[in-house]
Amino acid sequence: MTETFEFWVSYLTNGRHLNWYASFQYTVIAALLGGAFALLFGIGGAALRNSSLPPLKLLGTIYINMVRGVPDVLFFIFFPLAFEQLVELVIAQSACPAGGGAGVWPPCPEANWFLGTGEYLLLASVSLGIVYGAFTANVISGALNSVPRGQLEAARAFGMTNWQVLSRVHIRQMWVYALPGLSNCWLLLIKATSLLSLLQITDIVRGANLLGAPNFSRTAGVIHGDWRWGYYLALLLFYILVTYLSEKAFAAITRWASRGMPMAERV
Amino acid sequence: MQNAAPVVEIDNLHKSYGPLEVLKGVSLTAHEGEVVALIGSSGSGKSTLLRCINMLEVPEQGSVKIGGEAIRLSGKPPNRHPADEGQIRRIRSELGMVFQQFNLWSHMSVLGNVMEAPLHVQKRDKVEVEAAALEMLGKVGILDKAANYPSQLSGGQQQRAAIARALCINPRVMLFDEPTSALDPELEVEVVRVIRLLAEEGRTMILVTHDMDLARTIAHKVVFLHLGKIEEEGTPAEVFDAPKSRRLQQFLRAADHT
Repeated sequence: MTETFEFWVSYLTNGRHLNWYASFQYTVIAALLGGAFALLFGIGGAALRNSSLPPLKLLGTIYINMVRGVPDVLFFIFFPLAFEQLVELVIAQSACPAGGGAGVWPPCPEANWFLGTGEYLLLASVSLGIVYGAFTANVISGALNSVPRGQLEAARAFGMTNWQVLSRVHIRQMWVYALPGLSNCWLLLIKATSLLSLLQITDIVRGANLLGAPNFSRTAGVIHGDWRWGYYLALLLFYILVTYLSEKAFAAITRWASRGMPMAERV
Repeated sequence: MQNAAPVVEIDNLHKSYGPLEVLKGVSLTAHEGEVVALIGSSGSGKSTLLRCINMLEVPEQGSVKIGGEAIRLSGKPPNRHPADEGQIRRIRSELGMVFQQFNLWSHMSVLGNVMEAPLHVQKRDKVEVEAAALEMLGKVGILDKAANYPSQLSGGQQQRAAIARALCINPRVMLFDEPTSALDPELEVEVVRVIRLLAEEGRTMILVTHDMDLARTIAHKVVFLHLGKIEEEGTPAEVFDAPKSRRLQQFLRAADHT
C-alpha cells in the first residue's frame, strides 16, 4: 500500500509531470489574454459597425461577417504564420543581399525570426482575439442597439458630450444585454485554447497525449501502457472547473450590471 | 409678461420627417417667468416643437434663441446639425427637460440621476450638488426614495424624480413634454401638484400637455397647434372661453369628452 502511494507521488511529481502542470498556465494566459483582445476587438468592431460614416461601417461589417465564417483552426495557423513571414519579409529588405535564396524561406538566415513559446502565446492570444472579437462585436453591437433610445436622449438633453453619453450611459447599460452572449463567446474561446499545440506550444492537450502514451524505459522496461484516458479525464475535469468558475464570475458581473435595470425584475 | 426679457425665441421653424412636414413655420416667444402651454391633437407637432428648442430635433429652417443667443446650425437638410457642439451642450445644460416616459437613467439611483448633470456636465462641487439634489427631492416629495433605483418607484414618483433632475441644473427654462400622459389618473395628480408649485414660483416653463385643466390654470399663454402651424394663441381665457377658429372649437369639444 505504502509502495503504491510512493510510486504515485514520485510518478506524478517527476519532471515531465511538473512541466505538464506548468503548461496549464499557457491555457489560462491564452484564455485571459485572448479574452481581453476579443473584448477590445469586439468593442472596436461594434463601434465601427454602428458608426454613421459609411466606410467605417463597411469595415466593421466586413470584419464581423467574414471572420465569423472562417474556421478558427484555419485562422489560428494562418495568422501567426502570415505575421511571422511578414516580419521576416521586412527584416529581409535590409538584412539579405538582393536576389539571394530564391525559393527558400527565409531568403537568408539573417532574416530568420525565431519565435519562442512567449511570442507564440502572444500571437495565439491575438488570433483568438481576432476570431472571437468578431463574435463579441456582433453581440456588443446588438446590445448597444438594445439600450432604449430615451436613455441616450435624456443624456444628450442634459448636455453630455458624445463620449459621456457613450461611456456613462450607453456602454454602462449595454452590459446587461450583452452578457449572455459574451458568456457564450468566452466559453467558446476557452475551448479554442486547446488549439495552442498547433503553434508549437506544448500545451495541456499535447502534454496529456505525450504523458499518457505507453511509456517504456531501457532500464525499467514497461512503466505503463496506454494511460491517455486518465489524462484526458483530468483535462475534462479541468475544463469543467474552468466553466464552473466562469459561470460564477458571469453571474456576479450580471448581478452588478442588472442593478436597477428594468429587465432585472423579470429574472 | 411682455415687459420681461424673452428667454426662448422661436422664429419660423420648419421640420420634416421625410415627406411629412411636421412643423410649417412656427414662431413662439416665452418671456422670463412665463408659462406657455402647447396644446393640440396628436401629430399637430407640439412635441416636435418642444424638442427643437434644445435641438433634440434639428429644424430645417428657422432659428431658436435662448436668452438672446441664437443656436448656430450648419449643414444642409436633412443633415443639419448644431454648428458648435460646445455651444449646444452649454445651452442644453441650462434647459431642464422632462420627458413623457421619464427617461430616468435606470442604472443610477434616484439621487444619482439628480446629481449626474450638475456633477459631470456643469462640473459643480459635489457637496453643494448633493445638498441641492436632496433639497429638490424634498421639494417634489420623494426624499425617502433617494437611494432607490427608478424601477422601484411608481410612475408618478419617477416623473417627480425626473422633475427634480431637471430642477437641479438650475434651468433658465423648464421644458415639459406631456409629463402626465404616461401616468394613471391617480398618479397624475401628484405630478400636476408639483408642476403647479413650479408655476407659482414664477419659473419659465414651456409645457406640452393634454391636460386642459392644467393648461387653463397655470399658463399665461396657451398656444394651439394644428397640422404644424399655430392655429390660435392667447391667454387661457381667450383660448378656452372664446375660441375663434373652428378647429380649436372642435378640439376643445373633443377634449371635454375625454
